[in-house]
Amino acid sequence: MAKDRSAATPRVASRTEGMRGLKAGLPIMIGFVPFALLLGAQAGQKGLSAVEVPLMAGLNFGGGSEFAAIELWTSPPNVLLIVAITFLVNSRHILMGAALAPYIRHLPKRKAFPALFFMCDESWAMGLADARRRLAAGFSEPFSLPYYLGLSAGLYLTWVTFTAAGALAGPMIGDVKAIGFDMVFPAVFLVLLKGMWTGFRATRAWLVSLVVAASTYLLVPGAWYVLAGALSGVLAAFAIASRK
Amino acid sequence: MIEAATLLTIVLMASVTYLTRLVGYVALRNRILSPRIVEVMEGAPGCVLISVIAPYFVSDRPADLAALAITLLAATRLPLLATVVIGVCAAGLLRHLAG
Repeated sequence: MAKDRSAATPRVASRTEGMRGLKAGLPIMIGFVPFALLLGAQAGQKGLSAVEVPLMAGLNFGGGSEFAAIELWTSPPNVLLIVAITFLVNSRHILMGAALAPYIRHLPKRKAFPALFFMCDESWAMGLADARRRLAAGFSEPFSLPYYLGLSAGLYLTWVTFTAAGALAGPMIGDVKAIGFDMVFPAVFLVLLKGMWTGFRATRAWLVSLVVAASTYLLVPGAWYVLAGALSGVLAAFAIASRK
Repeated sequence: MIEAATLLTIVLMASVTYLTRLVGYVALRNRILSPRIVEVMEGAPGCVLISVIAPYFVSDRPADLAALAITLLAATRLPLLATVVIGVCAAGLLRHLAG
């Protein structure tokens, strides 16, 4: 069926593909809502305004790094630390972009560059899965840009809108710590970690990170424990990988 | 509405994030990564995430440690939203009980 559609005029085919992407993203959009609200509320608690919160969400568009940045946010913010942590949290994009590259090689850079701005874990995974499905179905260009953009548009607008809503509603939520809302961070991160679990081999580096970060936290004032833990873990991963 | 230091941080964050999205495509699209580098890169995000939440593991409040243990257990077998709800409820309840 899909093959017949791509034989239609390009504009009609694009619109159909865009809608297909938007529909595919609907369950994820719903899943984004509570986290966007929480991020916005947490950011509001740290003193970010209802303009600054959607600005961060819209320009950065990386949930994990935004949760980490808000967790580390002070007034005034420690710019270098937050930027470094943002890079480290989002360094997985480098690998994701590399994995996507063979599928978007046919796109001119003026299309590929804007498309990559919207590459988050979910749009990447779904875009890639769709491309692999279409490859198996015999499409000559398996990656459907309109599908990916339709999907991305839904996710992006959901994220920006509801982080702003969270920032506006934040003061109504009250002190997040007193009612246990600060447990959102470890809960989100532990589930993300479970998703990254590839066996005990890779986990040894995580343990190094945990021990170094926790000790640094107890011994050194400020938020440097994150950098110390992350870097020691990456170094440990490098050592472990070298000893193969 | 917008503070200069906040705006600077957000713009730099956004630039760095966009860079990570482009680098893999631009630099590595015609190359194959060595398995060693792939292994290190796969582990890096986990190292960062666990470092960010490390202070929760050395909290001096028994109620918080118990809540973290419950959250950890939930994370290993439940989806995201259920884990978050359980973690928040456990922390709220246990802190209330501990006074």
